[in-house]
Amino acid sequence: MTEENYLSDDLSKDSLEAPRFSCSLAGAYGTTLGLRDAVPILHSGAGCGIGQLFGTLYAGGQGAGGNEGGTSTPCSCLVEDHVIFGGETKLRNLIQSTIEVFNANFFVVISGCVPSLIGDDVNSIVGEFKNKVPIIHINAPGFKGNSYEGYELFFEAIADQLLTEKPLKKKLVNIFGVVPYNHVFWKGELSTVKKLLSSIGIEANIIFTEQDGLANIDRIPSAEYNVVLSTWNGHRAVKKLKKKFKTPFISFPNVPIGAKQTATFLRTVGDKLGVDLDIIEDVIKREESWTYRYMEYPGDAIILVRPNSYFAVVSDSNTAIGITKFLTNELGYLPDIVEITDNPPEEYHEKIRNEILDNLDAAFEPEIIFENDTYNIRKNLEDRPFQFLFSSSLEAPTSMEDFGALHISVSFPVYNKSVLVHNYAGYDGGLSLIEDLVGTFVGPL
Amino acid sequence: MSDNSEKSIDLNKNTCPNREQRANGTNVYYGKASKLLKDAKKGNLKCSERKFQQSGGCVLNFYLSVRVPTIRDAVTIFNSPVGCSSSALGYRELFRGIPVELGRPAQYNLNWITTNLSEDDVVFGASEKLKGTILEAERRYSPKAIFILASCTSGIIGEDIEGAINNLQPKIKAKIVPVHCEGVRSRLVQTGYDAFWHGVLKYVVEEPKKKQEDLINIASMLSYTWQDRLEIERLLGKVGLRANFVPEFATVDQLEVLSEAALTAPICPTYTDYLSRGLEKEYGVPYFLYPSPTGIKNTDEWLRQIGKFTNKEDEVEDLIREEHKIWKPKMEAIQDKLIQLGKNGEKIRILGSLGQGRLVNQLPFFDELGLQTPAAMSQDFDDLLVDQLDDIINKHGDFDIMVNTFQAAEQANITTNLDPDLTLTCPFQGGTWERDNNVTRIHSLRGDPDPWSMQTGYGGAVAFGNFLIQAFKNRSYNKTLSEKTPKSYNDWWYEQSDPLYYIEKE
Repeated sequence: MTEENYLSDDLSKDSLEAPRFSCSLAGAYGTTLGLRDAVPILHSGAGCGIGQLFGTLYAGGQGAGGNEGGTSTPCSCLVEDHVIFGGETKLRNLIQSTIEVFNANFFVVISGCVPSLIGDDVNSIVGEFKNKVPIIHINAPGFKGNSYEGYELFFEAIADQLLTEKPLKKKLVNIFGVVPYNHVFWKGELSTVKKLLSSIGIEANIIFTEQDGLANIDRIPSAEYNVVLSTWNGHRAVKKLKKKFKTPFISFPNVPIGAKQTATFLRTVGDKLGVDLDIIEDVIKREESWTYRYMEYPGDAIILVRPNSYFAVVSDSNTAIGITKFLTNELGYLPDIVEITDNPPEEYHEKIRNEILDNLDAAFEPEIIFENDTYNIRKNLEDRPFQFLFSSSLEAPTSMEDFGALHISVSFPVYNKSVLVHNYAGYDGGLSLIEDLVGTFVGPL
Repeated sequence: MSDNSEKSIDLNKNTCPNREQRANGTNVYYGKASKLLKDAKKGNLKCSERKFQQSGGCVLNFYLSVRVPTIRDAVTIFNSPVGCSSSALGYRELFRGIPVELGRPAQYNLNWITTNLSEDDVVFGASEKLKGTILEAERRYSPKAIFILASCTSGIIGEDIEGAINNLQPKIKAKIVPVHCEGVRSRLVQTGYDAFWHGVLKYVVEEPKKKQEDLINIASMLSYTWQDRLEIERLLGKVGLRANFVPEFATVDQLEVLSEAALTAPICPTYTDYLSRGLEKEYGVPYFLYPSPTGIKNTDEWLRQIGKFTNKEDEVEDLIREEHKIWKPKMEAIQDKLIQLGKNGEKIRILGSLGQGRLVNQLPFFDELGLQTPAAMSQDFDDLLVDQLDDIINKHGDFDIMVNTFQAAEQANITTNLDPDLTLTCPFQGGTWERDNNVTRIHSLRGDPDPWSMQTGYGGAVAFGNFLIQAFKNRSYNKTLSEKTPKSYNDWWYEQSDPLYYIEKE
């Protein structure tokens, strides 16, 4: 930072212009809503649910809240009276009535800033209901951290308050590191990963999106391995599970995009789980055969219109690694600059940097910057050669006039796409990324 | 006009009173409108606690968080933890869909910053951080105003925002505008409107340099589209008047000259109330609060009121005559179609409302369309609108009214029990729109540039009438999903008849 700046350069504690994440309550809330048949109960001010409807759910690829989200989310709606007299009675009544009213089987109480500041004993209130229904408490005041912190807090609460030892099930893995809503393609990514692993005989418990989230959570301890698809998201969760249930984990830097990353992924996981090498190689061969034939179709458009183009990626770490490597290693594109916007803890920066640069098929290295502040993010993009900008939809309307670049929305927040099954994971996913990319420039040739 | 015309506006104070105090507001009611009116007149309205409650929005995060950052030439600072502002992340895109040809400026910048209050700030205080953020906002953008939005956390830890800014204002060109919208301060989200206007009146509006006799202040909010602005500009333009639309997507200059206008006219009375009264008290700008230009009759009356205050009564009568020639036949065609859609010659039953402002404007419009409203729902209600409600009950007879602060389960219950032919929903209510009957939205959104979405003025009356007819032509989306997905709530909730089942009775 230059000396004329008035803010400190502590990335996690600074004031921030339009940061590309929300708070820990939001992360725990979005994660809970990623489960089916689970109800979040917010112990917070009345605006936290509707605020995150706009700022997490809509921002995560235009997801409406469903039955339990947004203004449907039970909330203690704390006001001054509770600040003075405490919010415990309100919370007790709210949990009781939510159990009576809601058509659901799992209840997740999430405490925000207010109860933390006024000192409500939420654990003991939640404890009163533990023998009635499956219920946990996540203490997630917004001032404690960002959305990604909320994801870790969710799994820590699950591990501490709910999970019990289960008999080991061979060739079952749990998938971690894909944060609902905050990784905007989460739904499609998880189901793609499940299908990929299934193709080599491994069953993946993707926890989210599928019916009866509670049952998926209950069987977490029976997995042979935990697979974490991130350099940092979900790492606290899998370490905790390792400590508690001795489940080893396999770490892969991102959700694999395209054939090359996917082959590495299948070999890595397959090897650990003792899958016959021939099975893995057969699958890879079969999938690559059609994938690379498909990659020939846009060949004329790419070669004639935008070959060897510079690109910028401004995204969460997982997305940045996957997209940068795919475009560089499979499409001959030139990585100009990568800005990481999800505020990974300092200790992971080196790892993320290495994962982007490792085996990167370019005659130069992209500049890699960790930045949370939208003003600085945009300053860093000025006067650069990139022709494509892969980022949040914040840049979408003015990417061409500001940076001379075509824009593709790939990272939180994404308001300009309805993301249902769309994603860049696996073999199809790499092709989807090509569709999105070529679609920005192609016309009659 | 109410006799207590100031309604407790005191700009020497840091903020407005809460709606609970200023206007006796309530967050819950279900029953006859006449009884609500009687209670309001006696000052008997009060808030109640709910044993079951849903996240209906707070003083900051219902309206202000998303909308204040759309003011141009300004920076909004959220003095809050990082999550209170994430709802503002759409700020750069919100108005970009409006074509430049329709009058949207090609170039503009909107900016917001969060102080990102952390655990350390909660313990040690954050006034230095706020000051640093204000200085940084000035350095980055040289804005004309810096709005500081307070939060639950800044309020509870006792941040002295005024103290911080008094010290800093002499060094800063931008007008610093604290807005006391701490989420925990009030049960009524409308307190947020007043808190915002208090800041605008106290720190932004300037002494009039001249009187602009053709300028009409119109505080437009949330649910009015770009086309609604164009319709209002068209109508006012025909009698030589101009609209000053504030605050959304307005410039700071537009806020400064609010004092120079000839009149403040409503689009939503409850939203505009504090501003209107404040401008009259401080600068003698007259106002009226009723009606808003929703429907043909309301638009006639709205224009007549404007004509009265601007000495353009004759021009307005000519305008109304001209407009009726164009729009009345179209409205009659809509009325005919809606009659045909009713079963057994009965009027179509329609359910829906949102803010109390929309309540008092939309009921007469539905009446005009030939629809009947078995009940009306309102987010909250206070005595600012007693005269209007009185008028409506006199003209249209008594009706059921539900005040429910955006409570989805209560709305699901009442919708099931009344089973209207058409439900108008503000589509934040989870699965409650999934029903085997007609459903559509209650209002359109501001970034929507399509004339089809207009709802204000004559053009809007016809567009919205046609829009409602479309809702009767296909219900497959809501019907399919109601069949194929689980219900939000257990059966007993829909089957019992009291939507206020969980209200704490004293």
